[in-house]
Amino acid sequence: MRYRFLVLIFVSLGLAAPVTAAEVKQKQFSNGIKLIVQEDHAAPVAMVQVWLKVGGRDELPGKTGLAHVFEHMMFKGSKKLAAGEYSNRIAAMGGNDNAFTSHDYTAYFETVPSARVDEVLSMEAERFGHLALKDEDFQKEIRVIMEERRMRTDDNPNSRMFEELSAAALRLHPYRNPVIGWMQDLEKLTIHDVRAFYKTHYVPANATVVVVGDVDFKHVQKVVAHTFGKLKKRKVEPRFNPVEPEPLGAKRVTVELTARLPMLAVTIPVPVWHPGDNDREAASLAVATHILAGGRSAILNRSIVDEQRKAFSVSAGYDPFSMGLDLWFAYGMLGPKQQADVFEQALWKSIRKLEKDGPSKAILAAAKRNMIADQVFAQDSLYLRAKQIGSMETVGIGADQMEVWLTAIRGVSAADVQQVLKRWIRPERSTTGLLKPKNDSGGA
Amino acid sequence: MKRVWMKGVFVVCGLLAWGNIAQATASIEEARLENGLRVLLMEAHDVPMVVMRLTLPAGSRFDPERKGGSASLLAGMLSDHTAKHDYRAWADMLDAEAIRLGAGADRESLNLSLTVLKEAMDTGVAAFAEAALQPGWSKKRFEIMRSDSISAEKKSLEQPGTQAAMLAASLLFSGHPYGHRTGGDVESLSRIRLQDLKNLYHNQFRPEGSILAVSGDVTMQELLTVLKPAFGNWKGSPKLALKDINMPAVVAGRSLHKDMPTRQALVQLLRLGPARHDDDFFAAMLMNHILGGGGFSSRLMTEVREKRGLVYGVYSYFVPLTVPGPFAITLQTRADQADHATEVVRDVLRDMVSSGISARELDAAKANLSGSFAHRMDSNAKRVGLMSMVGFYGLPLDYLQTWPEKIQAASLADVQRQVQAYLNPEQWNQIRIGPAKTQ
Repeated sequence: MRYRFLVLIFVSLGLAAPVTAAEVKQKQFSNGIKLIVQEDHAAPVAMVQVWLKVGGRDELPGKTGLAHVFEHMMFKGSKKLAAGEYSNRIAAMGGNDNAFTSHDYTAYFETVPSARVDEVLSMEAERFGHLALKDEDFQKEIRVIMEERRMRTDDNPNSRMFEELSAAALRLHPYRNPVIGWMQDLEKLTIHDVRAFYKTHYVPANATVVVVGDVDFKHVQKVVAHTFGKLKKRKVEPRFNPVEPEPLGAKRVTVELTARLPMLAVTIPVPVWHPGDNDREAASLAVATHILAGGRSAILNRSIVDEQRKAFSVSAGYDPFSMGLDLWFAYGMLGPKQQADVFEQALWKSIRKLEKDGPSKAILAAAKRNMIADQVFAQDSLYLRAKQIGSMETVGIGADQMEVWLTAIRGVSAADVQQVLKRWIRPERSTTGLLKPKNDSGGA
Repeated sequence: MKRVWMKGVFVVCGLLAWGNIAQATASIEEARLENGLRVLLMEAHDVPMVVMRLTLPAGSRFDPERKGGSASLLAGMLSDHTAKHDYRAWADMLDAEAIRLGAGADRESLNLSLTVLKEAMDTGVAAFAEAALQPGWSKKRFEIMRSDSISAEKKSLEQPGTQAAMLAASLLFSGHPYGHRTGGDVESLSRIRLQDLKNLYHNQFRPEGSILAVSGDVTMQELLTVLKPAFGNWKGSPKLALKDINMPAVVAGRSLHKDMPTRQALVQLLRLGPARHDDDFFAAMLMNHILGGGGFSSRLMTEVREKRGLVYGVYSYFVPLTVPGPFAITLQTRADQADHATEVVRDVLRDMVSSGISARELDAAKANLSGSFAHRMDSNAKRVGLMSMVGFYGLPLDYLQTWPEKIQAASLADVQRQVQAYLNPEQWNQIRIGPAKTQ
């Protein structure tokens, strides 16, 4: 463990020294498959991830949840492997595998001893190209997914409320639909939908293979050339990326569910990062959100929870690394004697105060330092490193842009923070959701 | 607000976080300060950061009677402010240097943790020691933190999992120190006074019997240079040692239900499991891996999810503690199919007891557990977690290195004995959270 030298990391704050100097090596194959490798020889392990430019956002009306259903079907057998055998083989290598789906992407991943990476890539390419997609497997798996929805959304008042909130906030952008899908759509999906989805989206030019760990780039390149590289080149359509119309005024939704305590959340459509285009604006939104809710000294927590006692927990978030737009959010969990409208006023008052006064030098410096430190701490996990590379590549930012982002963060001024709050974080652009506890028998 | 949906849940429970280990590892270096504090270190110089965790015998089993949640509140108080810094000055100071200070409790231990950039290590360790050794005991902050904990506990009752954990603790460990949730509940939190936390701290927060586990870009010499002045004046032994605890009484065949107006029912089968120091620990781990601890390859997952589509997840796990802790099988499914799913689980248990497991099955479990050794130790955070467990339970320092050998050494007969010892369905209890049965 002492001979880890490939990942060199510098953390000088004043200068624009790189935080992550581990080289990201890339190769594009003629059929459109892309390979990205970050070598790290610290331990004899590797993280293999296959990223697809398809997610919940690419679903057609009436077919919500299909991207995620498809992800489950990837484990249901291929030409060479029976249903379930994929995971069994990975387990036998001493590895583990899983997959995830978001609005913007779908990714499959395996953590394995590095000596087994070739085999994993070959298995991944095989199922990518030759999935079985049998109706009997689909019939079982769709029931599994309905249970997943019941567990995570239907029986979880907070999740349910956020689902309603997103649907109310956006008019035409597909982020308004839940990635798990509406139950009403899940009930109607068929194996034919799954097969059509496969044909349209599981095309080499939509895929990026990411390997981080104890591997040699040149060798992996050869293996990918013989596996994914052999898949037939096919045309891909550009992704659906609509422009959400500007909000025309504040919106409000009340969600009445069996719950113990209320919650109030506010969401606002804001721009995401387009490198070279809005670096300062996106970075300023990220810094402003961190100042409001990021650290131990976060303004919202300090003013609303600790001082005013208007909520027992408060949070806010912004994801600059998605496609098209982000739904910026803030929410408060309300205790038995705390009022939703009072919290809501306090939330906006805190935001307006930061906009008016601007952050102090110390607060701004601390926010930047913590955001950069997060990037260093993330280097400790192969999973997070691969995920960052894969997601940034897949949403169109580029795998090697993290330094550009951190440079933008370093450049944010107090005036920039004030400016983005003034421009974007406004009540008339917001949708507010209230989880209102409904008392029925059982009183969950 | 964006959520990512997965094929399967990442299960991080006591067993997985502390039970499964890795290979090809650097060895653990050990030092002991004059006051008895044991320091364990694994060096890793690839990322300029240091992670450390102080683990003490002050978990929820040491909570005063009827005051469940004391250890958790104490952990919160220690990291919130100190005698020298009020909560605002403290937060500002830590954030200025990106010093991440965490605190928490589980059934047996209370821990303080530090994640810090190498360049801020000296300040970070000084702050870490200040949090541990100079508590501020602000009455006002105590009231605020207790009140927010009560609200959070109340909110968490919306989750079937919280209700299940409460029911499980009271069913398996009634009258025993493991018999309540670590965070306490609304009533027990309301009874806690600041003096209770001071007493707990005074009695249990001592260098003897505590472990400081460290991983990262630091050598033992560098570490001791900062640790000695920071922790050198701390003295004493805890009033109660880890081993000062009674065996829980065996409970079998009981059944409890809690009404919730949910779509699913959560069903949990429960019994006592192996303790941390059991001779057959590795055989028991293999037995559980085959039953329901091994993810998609396990028998439960195969029968309940893969073959029948009844659940998103079904898992088994045991929590190895000083004395036998819980061994649980848990699933959630649409309420009207809960009985069916539970019957499938009981069939799996019956079948394992009557027909045993195959040599092939055992080999697959061994291959997975021993092969996954390296990546279970591939980050500073994971290494610190494992070293803390090794140190806290007094396991030999080569425990991690010899882990795969011990897995390989368990014979089929050893594992079959564990199947017989633990999987007889008659010995399990059952809890169910969800709508009342209508049929």
